Amino acid sequence: MKLPKQSIKSGLIAGLLMVSFATLWGCGSSGSTASESNAPSTSTAPESGAKKFKIGVSIPAADHGWTAGVKYWAEEEMKKHPEVEFIFQTADNPDKQIQSLEAMAVKKIDALVILATESSPLTPAAKKLKEEGVFIVNVDRGFTEPIADIFLAGDNKKFGQMSAEFMAKKLNNKGSILVLEGIPCTVNTDRVEAAKAVFAKTGIKILDSQSGMWNQQKAFEVMQTMLVKHKQFDAVWAQDDDMALGVEKALKEAGKANVWILGGAGMKDIVKRVMDKDPMYPANITYPPSMIADGIRAAVDTLTNTKPEELKNWKSKSIDIPIELVEPSNAKKFYFPDSIY
Amino acid sequence: MKQFVLRYGVFIALLVLIVANIIWQGKVFLDPVNIRNIFSQNAYVGCIAVGMTLVIISGGIDLSVGSMMGLAGVITIAVLNKAGVDPTASLLSAVAAVAFGTLAGLLNGIIITAGKVPPFIATLAGFVAFRSAALGWTNASEQKAKDGLETFGKIAGGGIPIPGLSVGSRGLPFLVQWPILFFFALAILAAFILNKSVYGRRLIATGANEQASIYSGINTDRVKWFAYSFLGFCVGIAALCQASRLNSVAPNSLGLGYELDAIAAVVIGGTSLSGGKGQIGTTVVGVLLLGIISNMLTTSGIDNNWQGCVKGVIILMAVLIQRGNRQNA
Repeated sequence: MKLPKQSIKSGLIAGLLMVSFATLWGCGSSGSTASESNAPSTSTAPESGAKKFKIGVSIPAADHGWTAGVKYWAEEEMKKHPEVEFIFQTADNPDKQIQSLEAMAVKKIDALVILATESSPLTPAAKKLKEEGVFIVNVDRGFTEPIADIFLAGDNKKFGQMSAEFMAKKLNNKGSILVLEGIPCTVNTDRVEAAKAVFAKTGIKILDSQSGMWNQQKAFEVMQTMLVKHKQFDAVWAQDDDMALGVEKALKEAGKANVWILGGAGMKDIVKRVMDKDPMYPANITYPPSMIADGIRAAVDTLTNTKPEELKNWKSKSIDIPIELVEPSNAKKFYFPDSIY
Repeated sequence: MKQFVLRYGVFIALLVLIVANIIWQGKVFLDPVNIRNIFSQNAYVGCIAVGMTLVIISGGIDLSVGSMMGLAGVITIAVLNKAGVDPTASLLSAVAAVAFGTLAGLLNGIIITAGKVPPFIATLAGFVAFRSAALGWTNASEQKAKDGLETFGKIAGGGIPIPGLSVGSRGLPFLVQWPILFFFALAILAAFILNKSVYGRRLIATGANEQASIYSGINTDRVKWFAYSFLGFCVGIAALCQASRLNSVAPNSLGLGYELDAIAAVVIGGTSLSGGKGQIGTTVVGVLLLGIISNMLTTSGIDNNWQGCVKGVIILMAVLIQRGNRQNA
């Protein structure tokens, strides 16, 4: 009797391990400003309770600050369109997201607004919806085939490149830095590789590159450990504002002065400190989670203002989401005290 | 000799790991700040592993601890921010964290005993539900402690200064932080309960053979309630310390994966997953073993994405050393 009991238990533990890994998979990107959300409300008056169309909104689950921001902006935008029936779902990994797309297909949605957990696995699922006549608005990460009717493109490579270029300029192309990486996934790889490519062309030396999992606590611990090994460096390329806060705590605890941090995503607290000319935070790079609101608005506007026959001959369009450098001079433009991120 | 390896194998594994790492990267590893970091970074999982040892000895398991910690952290900050000024606010938040943990643990225990639900399933429900409650309550956003609370930060940031050592170029005092001391205090308390009290003997009996224990008049339900409640109490302390350390709580990541780290530490320490057998001291060593492995990988310069492979191999090797030649024993 004893043996099977134990082996069942270990089997279940192995299962749990897999669940946990799946959780780590759920990988969003990182960044944020709030966009002006005075949405031009083109909607017609709601017809006595009957909703005009159904729109599915599918985004990654809130596994860190930036994805929590995406959820916030999606909810804010959906409130502005009472004439539309929204089916809103978050997914913590590509498998879950495919499942929720399939469920949306059953509910016969007219349009889908999606921020994919990962591009490749979601492409076939989204393609199926498109073939069924669903209008597809893709936000941030592109599909591997051109199936989006409207594509609001985020660019994590550009994000990595821009932030590395700022850092290189401020360091006069010399000195040494520490790099923090996020949850291992495409977004992180795109950012880090692009940044490293920039640094490689300068005299800047990357002393170490460790993962802080896009969260404050992990970044704090990893920074504590790196500080023992590396006593001399000029700046920390932290990529993400949650991680930047963890790095800051570790630096302060170790009594380390004269080191500055470059985070990213436009968290309101960090933007405020850029605005106040805090020497620890000379700049920030935006990667606005409000992009989801732009996507929802685009879907609603298109369905409202386009005739069905025009919709059939719709030519897909692609719009780049602006990724901008926030400095004390322009920080005010990116500071949204009421946002949750 | 065989007996010795069986009982103290995990100490040998720890020693081998330490010596190997001193040879590999001794300068960084032996830096007093680094050693202090290993203790402080693992004190949180350590507290939980101590409680988990009792639960596993009882023949159970608790998968809900990581999520419970996340929710306890959210509650800690919520109470702190509502409770006015320090030190009252910190005291109330500490009470709330520990009370919530203890009650949540007791709830697990009651579901398992009264509902006759296998511990794995009962606590799997908690694993999902506690995290979801933490996310739902906060809309998944970070909860910050309000400004001006001096005492709260000191729960994890303060400690006992070690004379003669300092941190950084400005000569900040070298502190052995409170969470490290909480970890060891809980370990000593649990070891006392396990080895010196009547309850400890009942716990071991319950885990070894529940039917026989019932026939001999032990109220095994109550034995289990206490074990799960004590674990919840440990989780509450861990959550409080972590919230204090970061002065905030991220409901999505606080305690994420801690259940696995804690269970791993207990098992590496030689406690049997089938119950009835185990020690606290070896669990503490198990926690340090896992902590040192993570620390040495971070300082090693091995590519991030590959560190898990190295970690897996080292954990396996440690377990093999720890078990010695048990099969033949």
